[in-house]
Amino acid sequence: MEAKHGREERTLDALFAAYRDCPTPEPSVNFMPELWQKIESRQRFTFSFRRMAGAFVTAALALSVALGVYMSIPHANPYYSETYVDALAEANSLDLPDIVAPVFTDQADPSR
Amino acid sequence: MLVEFDLIRRAQAGDNAAFNDIVLAYRKRVMGTVARMISRPEDVEDVAQEVFLRLYFSLDQLRTAEVFEPWLHRLTVNAAYDYLRKQRRRQEFRMSDLSEQQVVLADALASGKVDLDERRQEKVRETVDALLGAVSEADRILLVLKEVQGLSLKELEKVYRVNENALKVRLFRARQRVIKAFGERDGSAPANTGD
Repeated sequence: MEAKHGREERTLDALFAAYRDCPTPEPSVNFMPELWQKIESRQRFTFSFRRMAGAFVTAALALSVALGVYMSIPHANPYYSETYVDALAEANSLDLPDIVAPVFTDQADPSR
Repeated sequence: MLVEFDLIRRAQAGDNAAFNDIVLAYRKRVMGTVARMISRPEDVEDVAQEVFLRLYFSLDQLRTAEVFEPWLHRLTVNAAYDYLRKQRRRQEFRMSDLSEQQVVLADALASGKVDLDERRQEKVRETVDALLGAVSEADRILLVLKEVQGLSLKELEKVYRVNENALKVRLFRARQRVIKAFGERDGSAPANTGD
C-alpha cells in the first residue's frame, strides 16, 4: 500500500516536472498597447465616477441646507390658521344651551 | 527580483515609464503562471493584463518595494481565481470550447504538423490540465504555485498569509485529491507520462 502511494507521489512529481518544461504562451505585440488602453479607460471611468459622486454629494448638501433653512423659518399654514383650543371653543359656543329638549304645547283644549 | 527596488518606488510615485519597465520585466513570468492556472491559452493574455491593471491601481498600497514579488503573486492568484470562478459559472460554454480544442489538436497530430516532442508536451499539458481541472480552483492555484512555478513554502507564506504548517496540510490534501482524481480518471494509479 505504502509502495503504491510512493509510486503515485513520484509519478505526480514527474508529471509536474514535465509540465514545468512545457512552453508557455508569449506576450503578443499588442500586450502593452492594450494594457495602457485598459488603464486609461479605467482611469476615465474612475474620474467620471468621482466627478458624478462629487456632484451628487454637493447637490445633497445644498438640498439639506435649503430644507434646514425652510424648516427654521416660521410661516402661516393656510389650512390650519387657528389652534386646537380655538377650534374647540368655536365648536362648543357658551351662548348655546347644551341640551335642547322638545317643548310640548297642547292647543286642542283651550279651557284647560 | 527581476527589477531594482528603485524602479518600483518610482512607479509607486506615479512614473508611468517605470511601471512600463516593470510590466516588460514580469509579463512573461506572469503569463506563464496564469497559463498554468487557467489552461485556456486564448484568455491568458487578458488575465495577465488584468493582473497588471490591478497592480497599477494598487501600487500605492504596497508598503515596501521588498515585498513586491509576493504582492504580484497575490494579484496573479486573485485574478486567476476570479477568472476560474467566472468560468465555472459558464461551464457549458467551456466544455464546448475544450472539445473544439481537442479537435484542433487531433487534426494537427493527424497531419503531422507537430513533432514528437511537441506531441509529448501536449499530452503532458492535457493530462495535467485535466487533473487540475478535477480539483477545486484553490487547490489548482496552490499546486501550480508550489509544484510548477516552484515557489518555496516561505514565499507561499507571504502570498497566502498563513503559516507554513497550514500550507503543508493544504498542499498534502490538494495532492491527495489530484492523485484520487487520476485514479478515478484512469481507473488506476497515475500513468507514467515520461515517454
